[in-house]
Amino acid sequence: MASESVLVIGGGPAGLAAARSVADLGGNVVLVEQRDFLGGTPIAENYASITPHLESAEVALGRVVDAVQGHPGITVHLGAEVISCTGDAGELTAVLRSAEGEQPVECGAVIVATGFQHFDPGRETQLYGYYELPDVLALQDLESMLKAGSVVRPSNGQAPKRLCFIQCVGSRDRHIGNEYCSKVCCGVASKEAIEVRQALPDCEVFIFYIDMRMYGYWESQIYWPAQEQHNVQYVKGIVSEILPFGDRLLVRGEDTTMGRPMEIPMDMVVLSVGMEPSPGTRRTAQVLGVAQNKYGFIDAVDLPLDTVSTSRPGVFAAGAALGPADLEDCASSGAAAAMRAMAVIRGAQVAV
Amino acid sequence: MAIGTELQGGTVTQSGTGIARGVVGGSPDTGNGAILEGNAFFKNPAVAGFEDVAYEEKERFFEAVRSDMRFPDYLYGCYECGICVAVCPSARFYDFSPRRIAQAAARKDVALFYQQMQEDIWECSQCFSCVRCPRGNNPGGIITIMREVAINEGMASAKEALEGYSRIVYKIMSTGTQVSPDMLQPDAFPDWGPEVRDVSEHLALWRRALPPETLHTTATSWDVSERTLIELYLIWMETGALDMIRNVDESLHMILEEVMEERLEEEGIER
Amino acid sequence: MTTRSATPVSVILQKKQHFERDPERLPVDFHDRLYELEAAGELVVQRPPDPTDVVTVPTKYGRPKVIPRGHLWHHKSCGQCGHIPGYSTSIFWVMRKLGYEYHDPRDQTSCTAWNYYASATSNPAAQAAVALRNFAAAYESGYYPLIHCATSYGHYKEVRGELLRHPELRQQVRQVMDKLGKPMVLPEEIVHYSEWFYAMRDEIAARQVRDFSGIGVTVHPACHYYKLVEGDAIYDPDVYQGQRTAVVTGLAESLGAEVREYSTWYDCCGFGFRHILVQRDFTRSFATMRKIEVMKEEANPDVVLTHDTGCVTTLDKSQFAAQAHDRKVGVAVMSEAQFAALAMGAHPYKVCQLHWHSADYRPLLEKMGIDWRQAWAEFEDEVKRLERGDVQYLTWDDVDAS
Repeated sequence: MASESVLVIGGGPAGLAAARSVADLGGNVVLVEQRDFLGGTPIAENYASITPHLESAEVALGRVVDAVQGHPGITVHLGAEVISCTGDAGELTAVLRSAEGEQPVECGAVIVATGFQHFDPGRETQLYGYYELPDVLALQDLESMLKAGSVVRPSNGQAPKRLCFIQCVGSRDRHIGNEYCSKVCCGVASKEAIEVRQALPDCEVFIFYIDMRMYGYWESQIYWPAQEQHNVQYVKGIVSEILPFGDRLLVRGEDTTMGRPMEIPMDMVVLSVGMEPSPGTRRTAQVLGVAQNKYGFIDAVDLPLDTVSTSRPGVFAAGAALGPADLEDCASSGAAAAMRAMAVIRGAQVAV
Repeated sequence: MAIGTELQGGTVTQSGTGIARGVVGGSPDTGNGAILEGNAFFKNPAVAGFEDVAYEEKERFFEAVRSDMRFPDYLYGCYECGICVAVCPSARFYDFSPRRIAQAAARKDVALFYQQMQEDIWECSQCFSCVRCPRGNNPGGIITIMREVAINEGMASAKEALEGYSRIVYKIMSTGTQVSPDMLQPDAFPDWGPEVRDVSEHLALWRRALPPETLHTTATSWDVSERTLIELYLIWMETGALDMIRNVDESLHMILEEVMEERLEEEGIER
Repeated sequence: MTTRSATPVSVILQKKQHFERDPERLPVDFHDRLYELEAAGELVVQRPPDPTDVVTVPTKYGRPKVIPRGHLWHHKSCGQCGHIPGYSTSIFWVMRKLGYEYHDPRDQTSCTAWNYYASATSNPAAQAAVALRNFAAAYESGYYPLIHCATSYGHYKEVRGELLRHPELRQQVRQVMDKLGKPMVLPEEIVHYSEWFYAMRDEIAARQVRDFSGIGVTVHPACHYYKLVEGDAIYDPDVYQGQRTAVVTGLAESLGAEVREYSTWYDCCGFGFRHILVQRDFTRSFATMRKIEVMKEEANPDVVLTHDTGCVTTLDKSQFAAQAHDRKVGVAVMSEAQFAALAMGAHPYKVCQLHWHSADYRPLLEKMGIDWRQAWAEFEDEVKRLERGDVQYLTWDDVDAS
């Protein structure tokens, strides 16, 4: 007899969408989150606002968190992780471990929504000195400043007069082994650029890029406004290195459109770091025995029309555990995984 | 086909500035679709300063580079991020761009590639700052191969590059060390300051004042044993390195060949 | 969520204090292929002479690298031995002072890569055969190769990569090596002398007799050391937070010198291989305008330290002509090996052979508390002994007697 429960691992945007969808369809959800709060990386890393809508991340995610926490069909385990999972689709037994000890959970299907982590710029093949230079930041560092309403140079506490973003840090790089595009950084950087221009009208803002990947509505929602209304300067050419220059930073690159070398003093540099599988994604994939791709993300094995099935029947994945994803991707694949999981516990095989 | 046509259509040509569209010798498109007939960087033969050759010859040079075993590791693709140019010392002082080298190779732009073999490749500093390319390209490495082909083919640029350099090729191939103490002559290095004259005046004595036993030499950087040299000669001959010089500097080739063969003969070594 | 949270800036600075590598994100290790070929009988892998007498250092992508302390085979550099002999002499001298025995071979050719990168009058098979001939000579001696020149070091790593990747190249080189009667050998690690100096920096500092605390230093890292096959270069979280190569800087810091920043640190020196010999206008301009003038302006160092033949030559020899053009030059140039030797009490002329250098090093010596006039007189006395025929050569005993 198949269990009526679905185990959702991960309480970020994808896991929340999955849990809520399963429960709305009448299933029982056991939601496991290793952190001691729900909301995932946008909350943990203090995102100021979500891309492209510029709504407060806390408010936007808060709505889903509230819906999940108040749902009678959902049991939430915080500070917990899954350490084993045995059985077959429809009749699985997972073991949770938390401060209270270990406990078994019977479930019919599992949804893995363990997400991503920001690329650590210490591993960057270009020479950006993230750990050396206080005024070199990553996207999420600037997010936390924007959220606190104070964008200042960490070295001296003053507002920057000139700030730039460097795109594709840790993405699209054969040396690191991350050959993929992280999808969201062009949009996030442009969004942050707009926010900096709004907060500090005297601050010049540059974005150094290889290609601006502003697909769909992001073009008109962020890219054009950034250029047309906020005077963000987009320069095609990636910075090769950052070095101290007096009490500022010197960034060097080629302005490839103009065909000339550039060396520009900056007060602050923001590295548009890409996405990598989170430690939780890598660990959970191993615990569940689902295949990972060469980058460590979980493999969706029946692409393109089934976006959530993994190599193990009854185990589905959603969101950034599958690869770089924006919030909309996460919500969509969370709901898709919920449907597939419900199909398993209801015993109905949906033909694709 | 479409790519080639489009690019050609989009070409900017300027007459009077020495830049002209180089539609040379027809365009035997072999069907792989990306061979350009001409391009903006091709110089009018009248002002180019090097000999123009038939398109088929340019293709042959390109193929010689492309078929090198290293080439697949040196060129993947280029998305024009400009990192290679930003870090390139030669790009700062010459009209030189590692990005253009990679792009010409990737587009199979054989006419531009030929021009680069006749001009640009000798400007590269071979520092390999450009291997940081996020795509994994090695523009400096592509240039190493282009230079080897230019030498093998006896191209004008290779002959010019070796002018004034043959003494050094002779030194390295015949002695196994490249820059010997006795090269420090004030007339060869007037710009290196008066210390060169001091060294040159006291050379033998100052070399004898060096405590490491191997450094008392003046004609080589250190004392290289006879047996070692013979092994080196065998390497030059067996790997075709010696023969590479034949087309660029015939007399140097003759001298080196004579030196090496004589030495091997004395040792009773047959090849 | 928390009642009293730290400010974003303090959280960011806290996070950036230390770079910790994720051990699960290590790159592909060339050793896998090396050992495979060894197991297949295609190659011999030379291992450190005494596995217990080694120092393990971190590299760019986190792979640990093993540096043997002693029993080393010195792969000399043609440019160092030929034009800046105090460079090689200082390497030997420091090793002797620390009590590590070594072998200075005559059965060694140059790597020939200077010529290769200058004129391309060679090919991969010839370059690989030259490398393997030298490695075989080291192997036969029982000593482990230590490469003095950054270009040799970089080039040999390139050659190693080509040999590991291309069976047809191995085949071709094997035929040549068979003719020479030598085995196909690669050392387990290709080690640059500056890595040895870095690994030994504490031992060197422990023998320091001159105070360098007032000495301002800029560092020029050699392209062929850390850019060419970058994964082998030493990057240590303790130096530049692991974000730049550690070798020269780490040693200078251990010796108590003040390492200063300048904004063209990553730039090449302008050597150019062919340019330094036949297109020197480029080399002079680049070395002056992109390196010496920038460091002079931004850091005003007493000396620029580097770790390669070409870089010492370029930075040192390019300053004389620049003076004639009123460029703001005038920075002493030497290798960190010479700098370390001076720290340990080496004679500036008998050991470090600074009379072969061009840029004025005398103010530096004065700052180090060295009476260079007296030192020069001592050297001249030794030269007179040679001239008179009292002795044929100066020996290690002669330089240590002072």
